[in-house]
Amino acid sequence: MEKDRITAKSPVTRKKFLRICGSVIAGTVIALLSGISLKRIRSKESGYFWQIDPSKCTFCGRCETGCVLPVSAVKCVHANRVCGYCDLCGGYYRTNVKDLNTAAENLLCPAGAIRRAYVEDPYFEYTIDESVCNGCGKCAKGCNSFGNGSLYLQVKQELCKNCNECKISQTCPSGAIRRVAYSEAYLLKDA
Amino acid sequence: MKKILSLPLILFPLVTTAQNRFPKPDFESGYRYPTFTYHVPDETFWTALDIALLVLMMSFVAWAVIKRKKRAPVMWVSVISVAYFGFYRSGCVCSIGAIQNVALALTDTSYAMPLAVLLFFVLPVVFTLMFGRVFCAGVCPLGALQELVNVKNFRLPKPVAAVLGIIPWIYLSFAILCAVTRSSFIICRFDPFIGIFRMGGDLGMIIFGALLLLTAVFTGRPFCRFLCPYGALLSLFSRVSVWKIRITPKCINCDLCHSACPLDAIRPPYENRVKESRVQGVKRILTYLVFLPAMACTGAFVLNLTGDSLSRSHKDMRLYDLVVQNAKEPQNIPPLDVEVFYAQGGTIEKLTARAETVRNEFRTGATVAGGFIGLVVGFTLIGLSLKRTRKTYEIDDAACVNCGRCFGYCPQNRQLKIEN
Repeated sequence: MEKDRITAKSPVTRKKFLRICGSVIAGTVIALLSGISLKRIRSKESGYFWQIDPSKCTFCGRCETGCVLPVSAVKCVHANRVCGYCDLCGGYYRTNVKDLNTAAENLLCPAGAIRRAYVEDPYFEYTIDESVCNGCGKCAKGCNSFGNGSLYLQVKQELCKNCNECKISQTCPSGAIRRVAYSEAYLLKDA
Repeated sequence: MKKILSLPLILFPLVTTAQNRFPKPDFESGYRYPTFTYHVPDETFWTALDIALLVLMMSFVAWAVIKRKKRAPVMWVSVISVAYFGFYRSGCVCSIGAIQNVALALTDTSYAMPLAVLLFFVLPVVFTLMFGRVFCAGVCPLGALQELVNVKNFRLPKPVAAVLGIIPWIYLSFAILCAVTRSSFIICRFDPFIGIFRMGGDLGMIIFGALLLLTAVFTGRPFCRFLCPYGALLSLFSRVSVWKIRITPKCINCDLCHSACPLDAIRPPYENRVKESRVQGVKRILTYLVFLPAMACTGAFVLNLTGDSLSRSHKDMRLYDLVVQNAKEPQNIPPLDVEVFYAQGGTIEKLTARAETVRNEFRTGATVAGGFIGLVVGFTLIGLSLKRTRKTYEIDDAACVNCGRCFGYCPQNRQLKIEN
């Protein structure tokens, strides 16, 4: 054993003693820290996912550029039950459009992510192709300005990296992005 | 692991408040509304797997390094860590960033920290107290990545390394300061390797990460030694760890481990010929007792002055600046933030009061951080001035990350293996 080599007067004993003291202090610190933190942990339902509150969103377009992902995790979502199925859709067409056809110069979406399908006279169904949508919110702005507001932005949870500090939430001018619980991971309009 | 979300009840009020400029169409063709399902990833399985792997890998490294004195398992763990924690789980949750969550949870009762984050913070600390920095060895994907690319070890001069070693402490205090004031999570924002793990992100950070990785080829773990705030925290605990790494029971002073160590964590033997009398020793300690508080006060004073400018990093302060600017020059078109601020019914008075609280928070926080940084600088300088006699090569427990590189170089260790 080491003890045999070390005499009682050797400084190593003091060193060892200090080390043991240090270990005890460190252990207590860990126990205290984790104890207090454990108390602070709420149930699993505590806010974990980032989500946009559609009632606060101003469609400023910062979601498109703010996200850390190359293509934003924010996508446009369409609430069919809120939609008016208009032919002249404020979210689909640019303002002052001349012909209501699907020619690119008439369309508002820069990515061409909105699909339009004829339902019956005079109604048209609009669908978002989320694989193309970049979350710029132009359609949502148009729809909220001229229509029922059925197009709105949501964070797609399967794409979101759930950053500790959502970069969009830092640039959002209206504070519309907040942490939500699992049960309300999407704040949908057509519930 | 995806679960279809049940439609939340909470949103009914939203539907009623929505502006229904156009009535709901009455379809005659029998059109039915399409149904969409929104997926919410259920993270329970993955976080459980993360925690299990974390514990398993740390135990494995502890066993390999302390009991078996082998490096190969550490390398395997490094590969797994980089592949799983790094690339597959895209570097999140990470223990380094968890510092901020824990700091925020301790000071802000309204913040709810996930259990996984607490475990990611506490488990490596507990393991460090028991076995030394086994987490740093290869379980941390950032350390593992640098370990895997390291080829050559150019040693930095000791004073340079000591001065650079202060950076993690400064980083740590600023990270905690920014976290508790809820201004930003700087550790997450300035993670140098996250861009590499996610293969995308901020270009500046990716370039910085690549440069750091390039440096890591020629000198051992620059991030761990000179930047990582969690490593700094763990070094405190590894100093007093219960089981310590030993290269060999019988050192023959051959210097091979010293030249092999990528972190320069092995101190060579040294004979201190300057004998200090008792009076001199007492004098020295008294000098320290004056010097350390002086350093702390200087640090606190200097950072207290910067409190106001530091508070600029807070979102509310930025808004306050914009609003004040706009009130001064009403002829200019107000920026979007200001427009939204007024549209939401905000007033300058309320915002000014808020700005004042934020500023005060920052002043207090910066003073504490400054005092702490001053102390660290003081201790570093004392450490540089101290000269201790060592008969054999000794491991600096605080700096050692248990990578196990020294084992293969030690001729005694090799002999031991042959004998077994």
